[in-house]
Amino acid sequence: MMDLDPQMAAALQTFFEESRDLLQEMESALLFMEDQGADLERINAVFRAAHTIKGSAGLFGLEEVVRFTHRLENLLDQIRSGTKMLTPANITLLLSCGDHIGDYLDRLVSAAPLDQHFLSEDLRLLAELQAALGAREQKLPISKENNLQLYEHTEASSSSVTEIPADEKVSTSANWHISLRFGIDTFRDGMDPLSFLRYLQQIGDITGLVTLTDALPALPQMDAESCYLGFEIGFSSVADKATILDVFDFVKESSVVHLLPAHSQIGAYLKMIQQLPEADQHLGEILVAVGSLTSEELQRALALQENTDQTGQHQPLGEILVDQKMVQEPVVQGALEKQQQQRESQSAERQLLRVRASDLDYLVDLVGELVIASAANRLFAGQDALEARLESATQVARLVEEIRDGALRLRMIDVSELFQRFPRVVRDTARTLGKDIRLEMHGEGTELDKSMAEKITDPLMHLVRNAMDHGIEPAEQRLQVGKPAQGCIALHARHDSGGIVIEVSDDGAGLNREKIQRKALEKGLITADQVLSDQEIYALIFAPGFSTADKISDISGRGVGMDVVRQNIESVRGRIEIHSVSGRGSIMRIHLPLTLSIIDGFLVRLAQDTYVIPSESVEECLEYPKVQGTVGYMELRDQPLPLLDLNAVFNKRATDESRRNVVVVRHGLERIGMVVSGILGSQQTVIKPLGKLFEQVPGIASATILGNGDVAPILDIPTLIQRHYAISAKSAHSFIH
Amino acid sequence: MAKTVLVVDDSASLRQVVGIALKGAGYNVIEACDGVDGLAKLAATDKVHLIISDVNMPNMDGIQFVKTLKQKPEYKFTPVIMLTTEAEEEKKREGQAAGAKAWVIKPFQPQQMLAAVSKLILP
Repeated sequence: MMDLDPQMAAALQTFFEESRDLLQEMESALLFMEDQGADLERINAVFRAAHTIKGSAGLFGLEEVVRFTHRLENLLDQIRSGTKMLTPANITLLLSCGDHIGDYLDRLVSAAPLDQHFLSEDLRLLAELQAALGAREQKLPISKENNLQLYEHTEASSSSVTEIPADEKVSTSANWHISLRFGIDTFRDGMDPLSFLRYLQQIGDITGLVTLTDALPALPQMDAESCYLGFEIGFSSVADKATILDVFDFVKESSVVHLLPAHSQIGAYLKMIQQLPEADQHLGEILVAVGSLTSEELQRALALQENTDQTGQHQPLGEILVDQKMVQEPVVQGALEKQQQQRESQSAERQLLRVRASDLDYLVDLVGELVIASAANRLFAGQDALEARLESATQVARLVEEIRDGALRLRMIDVSELFQRFPRVVRDTARTLGKDIRLEMHGEGTELDKSMAEKITDPLMHLVRNAMDHGIEPAEQRLQVGKPAQGCIALHARHDSGGIVIEVSDDGAGLNREKIQRKALEKGLITADQVLSDQEIYALIFAPGFSTADKISDISGRGVGMDVVRQNIESVRGRIEIHSVSGRGSIMRIHLPLTLSIIDGFLVRLAQDTYVIPSESVEECLEYPKVQGTVGYMELRDQPLPLLDLNAVFNKRATDESRRNVVVVRHGLERIGMVVSGILGSQQTVIKPLGKLFEQVPGIASATILGNGDVAPILDIPTLIQRHYAISAKSAHSFIH
Repeated sequence: MAKTVLVVDDSASLRQVVGIALKGAGYNVIEACDGVDGLAKLAATDKVHLIISDVNMPNMDGIQFVKTLKQKPEYKFTPVIMLTTEAEEEKKREGQAAGAKAWVIKPFQPQQMLAAVSKLILP
């Protein structure tokens, strides 16, 4: 992309993140207005988003973004001022523009080229913006010099920079004469005359300088906050006139600045002298002193003045001071103050800190270990029977748990961040489908782990699209059955028994039991004689390659997806269930754990070692049956349960086989009994990633550290079950007793 | 003792870039994300020598921010550079009335901002 030093690269990263947030805000505001009508506050929010992106993009030299957002801003400005309406067409255009900027930034991040597709979209949108603007394009102010400006004088009173024509003979040596009279309000404006002189030295040399104190009143009359100073400066520089004048840009409004090439025509000096407040004779002497004029030139000049100065109407300095006195802004505070207090509380929420995700993970990781260590500590303290020690250990344990909760909360984001992209998705999908569908969102304040939010965005998106495509019926059909023509998709989020539940519901036709069953039969997923519960039939739509859509549509129904949805959800140790009432709609309910870094583990013993089974997959624990039926199976409530001896899987030589247990685990529709040497109970465990060396070991997902410092592998139940079925399909006797 | 500049803008990346340029030239830089935050940062800082403020910000815009701070005697002489776009002509007038006498038009290059700042104060 571009070569940047690390600091700038970091800033650019901030810019990308910030722009995405802004584009998202812009989109939300536009969608809201499309629905509820335009309001000034939101138009302003959209404008501000475009404005901020443009301003920051300029800093990074992203001219394309500046150019594009500039046009966008023009349209927004006209909408804001009421010249143009915020029509649905304009909203669609603005949304596309937002997408386009986002696309550009994405390409920049991924270093993807600006291909033909991008360029044609660029041209199309620019043309549309042009058409929407109607008027001729406004000029983009990105000249190099000219964007540092000062407030122009509204009441064209005292001179701003007066450029005196230098006549023909400009001295080739780059010597200048600068005549400066700082405005009376210079201090009050926050300017320091000295700083301009210092800055002047950065572009050249001050060869001579005389400070004019003529305007300084007697001490009793002097106002310490007013500036009475003037300077006559001889200046030598390679800089051109504009650059030198530019130095005084910020004071040119209130002050008088004259710039003359040294030794220019006497006429020019004369004009200048006439325009300055001091006595002519005195000024002339100063010019000589500075070295800009020779005394001979001065004599000629004064002689000339005798002839030309008919009126002699020099404005006395005092009058100028009165003229230039700034009108004090009337204080209109009162009413604003209350409003401001409310804003202050909002602002507090915006005080966010960006933290590196890996640092956070490390912290959460350590805190997890702290929890374990503290539990062990408390245990030992209990054995001492020393009450004071137990008490303090309990205190520490309680604090540690609070720290854990606090640390975990750092990783949490509001579900609203996850939900915020859905209004757009629903809008666009509804348009593509030609259906009228509204979106409802509830429980946006529910918090969930950020990495989890990222992982379930796609599945959620798919579920929503699916519900819109297959769930919600066409309007005519809805009216026939007495439903409102407008369909409704709802997203709900809430906390539920130590986890999070996210629901995607629709008020459509509901799942068609018979259709699913027929399809599953066709695909060979079930057999004709199988008796299946509703839940089991609904679960079939998550089978790979299953799709009941009569025709393949753009939105969904490509037959990939629902099985991927399930996989994605399960990869974050979540599960999905379906509730459906024919004719009334369906609910896809996703259960998720609160966090990915701590799990409830079920500890089992294999020979001498401890292993962890994630509690959520454990159904029940049984004693190992003394009497064996079929090898590799046991009977559980009249159903055969396949058995998997974990000691055998991990090549353990178990010594004491008298107290073996069976842990029944489930993954999806499959159940299996795992034979273990002993059961140690459940405990919260912190998930530690495995090193590269162990990543490929089948059957182990990760590891945890126990209170005594031992490492305990966490079993990968889905893989173990799949492998068992795969292997037992080949040879029914391997592994199993 | 390095001079302190307060940069008030709702764009974090803008603050960052301006900060890099100014710090590189030897200024201290404090950042604030809007007017309310700006006032809070001013209150929490010993001496701020110059303020750069965006006009269009949420919560409290730059105009209100400058108006408010110019009412406090300690900031009466603190120079303020306002950031604006050319699309905000009327805001310039308001900013001027509020007490800001210098402005820089967005988009600008970091070096241009540095030049503007060093005209008013040297590090």
